[in-house]
This record gives sequence, structure tokens and C-alpha cells, in this order.
Amino acid sequence: MKTFEYTITDPVGIHARPAGLLVQAVKALDSKVTLTNKDGKSADGKKLLAVMGLGIKQGDTVTVTVDGGNEDASVEALEKFLKENL
Amino acid sequence: MALDYHKCAQEIVDNIGGRDNIAQAAHCATRLRLVIRDNNKLNKEALDNIEGVKGMFESNGQLQLIIGTGTVNKVYDEFLAITGMTAATKDDVKAAAASKMPVWKQILKTLGDVFVPILPAIVASGLLMGVVEALGKAVPSFSGSDWYGFLDMIANTAFAYLPVIVAISAARVFGGNIFLGAVIGLAMIHSSLLNAWNVGTADTINHWYLLGHFKIGGWVVGSVRQVGYQGHVIPVIMAVWLMSRIEKWLHRHIPEMLDLFVVPICTVFVTLFLTFTVIGPVFAQLESWVLTGAQWLVKNPVGAAAMGALYPWTVVMGLHHMYNIIEAGMLSVEGGLNTWMPIASAANFAQFGACLAVGIKSRSAKTKSVAVPSSLSAALGITEPAIFGVNMRFFKPFIAGMIGGTVGAFYGAVSGIGATAYGVTGIPGYLTIKQPLQYTILLAVSFAISFGITMAIFNEDAPAAAKSKKGAGKENVPEVGGVGAAGSNVPLGLANVIIKCSGGDIYKPLNGDVVPFNKIPDETFASGVLGMGVGIEPDGDIVYSPMDGNISSVADSKHAIGITGANDMELLIHVGIDTVDMNGDGFTPYVKTGDPVKVGQPLLKFDKDKIKKAGHSDIVVVLLTNSDDYDNVQYGDNLNK
Repeated sequence: MKTFEYTITDPVGIHARPAGLLVQAVKALDSKVTLTNKDGKSADGKKLLAVMGLGIKQGDTVTVTVDGGNEDASVEALEKFLKENL
Repeated sequence: MALDYHKCAQEIVDNIGGRDNIAQAAHCATRLRLVIRDNNKLNKEALDNIEGVKGMFESNGQLQLIIGTGTVNKVYDEFLAITGMTAATKDDVKAAAASKMPVWKQILKTLGDVFVPILPAIVASGLLMGVVEALGKAVPSFSGSDWYGFLDMIANTAFAYLPVIVAISAARVFGGNIFLGAVIGLAMIHSSLLNAWNVGTADTINHWYLLGHFKIGGWVVGSVRQVGYQGHVIPVIMAVWLMSRIEKWLHRHIPEMLDLFVVPICTVFVTLFLTFTVIGPVFAQLESWVLTGAQWLVKNPVGAAAMGALYPWTVVMGLHHMYNIIEAGMLSVEGGLNTWMPIASAANFAQFGACLAVGIKSRSAKTKSVAVPSSLSAALGITEPAIFGVNMRFFKPFIAGMIGGTVGAFYGAVSGIGATAYGVTGIPGYLTIKQPLQYTILLAVSFAISFGITMAIFNEDAPAAAKSKKGAGKENVPEVGGVGAAGSNVPLGLANVIIKCSGGDIYKPLNGDVVPFNKIPDETFASGVLGMGVGIEPDGDIVYSPMDGNISSVADSKHAIGITGANDMELLIHVGIDTVDMNGDGFTPYVKTGDPVKVGQPLLKFDKDKIKKAGHSDIVVVLLTNSDDYDNVQYGDNLNK
């Protein structure tokens, strides 16, 4: 299991569309991905509504947990995705 | 490493209690969906740790194991091979899950499903009928007037032809053709048959002997009593259930080119033959037993109390119209009093109390709007809307009504009160009762007990609507619309399925032209990465819930709502394109995260002018975000037509 943190820079936060892209990115991986917001609430990275329900805004730090599969590759792919999109 | 499908399947079987503990098995795009007979035999911890099982949860009576796209079907094949089961469709699994409910609950649910859509017809009629009949008794000159005749006809139409309305609704519930259902209902009250309400006063009842005069006991096989089913409910529902079975069977076994020629006529003939020769005699026998039993019971106060409890059941069975015979018999004796009327009044008034309590306590605007008028009609002695539409559905109020009726009837019998006529109960009963004071006590006792018990024990399963005002804007939450074609509370004009898949149907949340998602003027929505669905160019400005479920998210910027529904369908409703930058200005949500919602319940109001001023499109995007998980996903306008 691997964990990393990322601070959101997108001015609208993880809203519907970015969340949709994120979920797509997660679905392409072979690991189980969990997102946790600053209040400690977690969501399955494959569930769009759950991710949206975290209510992550600009400036919030989100904890990403990657479990199973090729964890190193998953972490790398997610970090890249977050930097490019969020 | 590739997953060992056989090993994975074997481990699953081992940890769910073996083949014998599996009622049904199916899979969708990612999950193995199992219906388990005994949940105690599950080893949940072990299941979660099986290699290949990425997660598990229980929902709607199903055990769902998440295995993954492209893998689940292979595990499923091994699973079938190991267990020797045959493949089930997801519908089968759903049906098996429903059948895990106790039988009496299924029957109550079916009754409710049949009755709820027809409530608008009978609630109004019940009230009008109660008022008209009371006025007719109170003002003798009115009862002979033209207006009385006219109003009486209007008021009792829905009740006089109730079997037809019930039959149509039942046909829809059971999946039969509703027009054939109507034919069954009409035949059961055909004018060639003696009206059931007149059986008590008829000199002779004629029979048709369709299979000669062969007797078993006192019953002539194949004989048809030429009596209609006015006021009946249960025999009609049974007949239509039978019809739907026969019709479906015939559709499967008759070649398509002969279908229209053969199926309807065979369905109608076989159904009516069995209805009149089997269901009919059974009910006729039941009626005569109930009559004999009732006459015997009311001779002493304890029996009267028991009758007070049983009375609403006989209304449910449609047997209560026989009681006129008892009442007429009591009055035919010189100086005789109708002591039956207080019992019936106690039972009916108790149902009124229970129903009113539901109307007061319920937090759902929909339930209130049914319960209050239904209770008023019950106070006037017409209890069908209250019993079928409210008390029976929630059941606890029905029991509370039985208790209130028992006590009231006991008091009535002990105090020896009676009426000098028959035909009215409840408040209009004052016109015929000899002892108004004791009658008042009887009504008050029956009412107070059932009302009190219901207030104490009734809890709605899904508190919704009204509660959700919190956190919403200053405006009032609009009422849910009328009853739509789907039998659920779809707002009028919106009984229109826009997304259909193996997970269920999603209704149109507001009026407007529908475009498929790939025509939505936004790259992300059109690409399908957020799931399949539609865009709606809105005519109105209120979004209603397109399915039953729970609100899983309301965006801070208030323009997007997520709902999780049956079979884990996840729906995103997004109002406008790029409207996130309006920061909530112009959007008024009526719900908050975690709220349960029903189809047709208002979710969100938006200001079209503000969206326009902000330079955005106001298209309402409705997407099934996990559409990958379902089979046969369709999207468009009017998919149910």
C-alpha cells in the first residue's frame, strides 16, 4: 500500500468534470485507489459520485492511497494526472 | 499474474455455504451477484480476502462481489461449472431477492402497488359519496331531488365499477395487457349478472351449469352463480393475476403470426371460466361463512369485540356488503334495533383515527395528501381509500385500527346501543342512532385508541420531501406532481423513461427536448467519460428526482446533484455547462447529501435568466455515471413508449 498527498490547484476543485476524468484515470489502473479529504472522509476512486461527495476545493490537500497491483506505476500515473488536470 | 478463475470461484463457493445456500447467481459487467439463502453461513472475512475479489457488499437482498471487467464472466463460468447451476439473468436474481420477503409482505406490497395508482379516483369519490349520503339522510327532501340523484351517480361511479379500475391497475402490476385486464374487470360486474349489493334482497339466484350437474359435496362442478363482483377487490386481483400468467404463457407458446388471433381470446376465456367456476364459488362460500360467523359473534359483547377487530379484514376481502342482510334481519323483528351498526362504526372510525394519525405524523407531502382526505372519507363511513391507500400499506396503522375497533365495538355491545336504520356508519351514523351520547363515546374511544397507537408506533420507512427544506433557499419546496403512467409518483407529463438499463429505469427529471449525451455541447459530457445519458433543453426550471434513491452529493456550487439508486445506479444531474463558475448563484437545491429521495420529488430549482446572463447553456445533463456496470443501456426520449 502506498500513500501520497496532493494539493488541488484547479480553481473549481474536484467538481463533476474533473472528477469524471479522475475516475477514468483510476479505472485504467490495476490498483484499488482511495481518496481521503481533509476531514478524513474517504471515497473509492472509481466511484464518481463518491469522489464528488468529498467536496474537495482549491487549496485542499487530498490523500491518495494506492493498494494492490503495480503500486509504483499507479502512483506515478496518478501524480501525473493530478498535476496536469487538477 | 493472471487470476486462477477456477480457484477464485471455488473459494467463493466454499465461503458462502456451498451450492445449497445459493438461490440465484448472475453477473454484471464487474460484479458477481448472488442471492444467498442463509446469510449466517457466509464467511465474510474470508470472502473479502479471496484473490480476485476486490470488494463485497450486500444490497437489495443480493450479495455482490466485485471482481472486475473481463474477469467476472470467467469466474462466473467456473462458478456455474462448480455449482452445477444454470445461468440466471439479473432479473431472475432480482425476483429471487424480492421473494426473500415474507409472503404476507409480498401480498401487502402487491395490494399497495395495485391501489396506490387508483387512489385519486377513489379518494375523491369516497368523500363525495359520504357527504351526499349523509345529506340524503339528514335532509329527507334532498334525497328525492334531481341533484341528489345526479351527485349520487357521480360519487358512486368509482365504487360501483371499482373492479374495472382495480383490474386495470392489477394488469399493469402483473405485466398483463391492461385492456384485457379491463375486460376481465368489466365481465365480473356485467349487467347480465345480479348486482352483488342486491343479493340479500333477491328472491332467487340463477346459475349456469357449464359442465352438467356433477356434484362434489354441495358444489356443482362448473356451475356459475349469476352474481357480479361489485365492491370486490381480492377476487378481481386474483383473476387478473391469473390472466397475466395465462397471457404470458400463451405469448411464449403461440407462433407470432397467430398471436393476436389466439392469445387475447384464449386468455379472456380461460381466465373468466376459471374465475367464475373456481374463484367465484370459493368467495361465495367464504361470504356465507363470514355471514354466519358474524351473526353468531354479535350475540354477545366479546363476539362483538372480535367482530370489531375482524371487520376491516372483511372490507379488505370485499365481504362487507353482505352485512346489510344482518342489519335488515335485526330490524325486521318488531321493535328490533340494529346493533350491528355500532360495531361497523367503531371499526370504521378506528380506521379513520389511524389514517388521520398517518396524515399528521407522516413527513412526506405525498403520504399526507393521500392520508388526510382518505381519513375524512373514512369518518363518513367509506373506508376503502383509508384501508387500501394508507393503513394496509403501512400495516401498523391497520393493526392500530383493529385494536381501536375492538374496544369501541365492545363498548357498543355492552352499552346496548343500536340504530333504527342501516346503510350509514361513522358521523352520518348519528342520523340513525337512538343513543347519541353513548354513540359519541363509542366513536371517541375507537378514534382515540387507534389514533394514539398509530401516533406512537407509526414511522415512515423513508422520511423524505418536507424534511429536506433545511439548507435550501427561502422558497417553499414545490409539491410533487400527480400520478404518472408508471404507477409511481412521476410528475404529470414526466412519465417518460430517458435512460433504461439492466439496473432499472430513469425518468425524465423535467420537460424539454432530449438529446443523446454525445450531442451535448461540451467535450467532456459528449465524450462519455462521465457515463452515458442524455441532455435536456429545459422547458421548466425545477429538476425532479428521476429515480428513487439517496442523494450522494450536492455540489457546493449547487448546480450538480448525485443520486445513488436501485442496484447501485449512480446518476449525475448537472444543470448547465460551465455553470460551476456561478458559485451557486441562481441555484436552489431542495435536498442535501444523505437525503432519501423518491421519484418525482423536487431536487433543485435554477434561474434560467441568470444562467443566460452568465453566458452559459442551461442544458440539464443526466448521466448514468456507472453505465459500464449495466447491460443494455439505452438513452433517449420516451423509451417506455
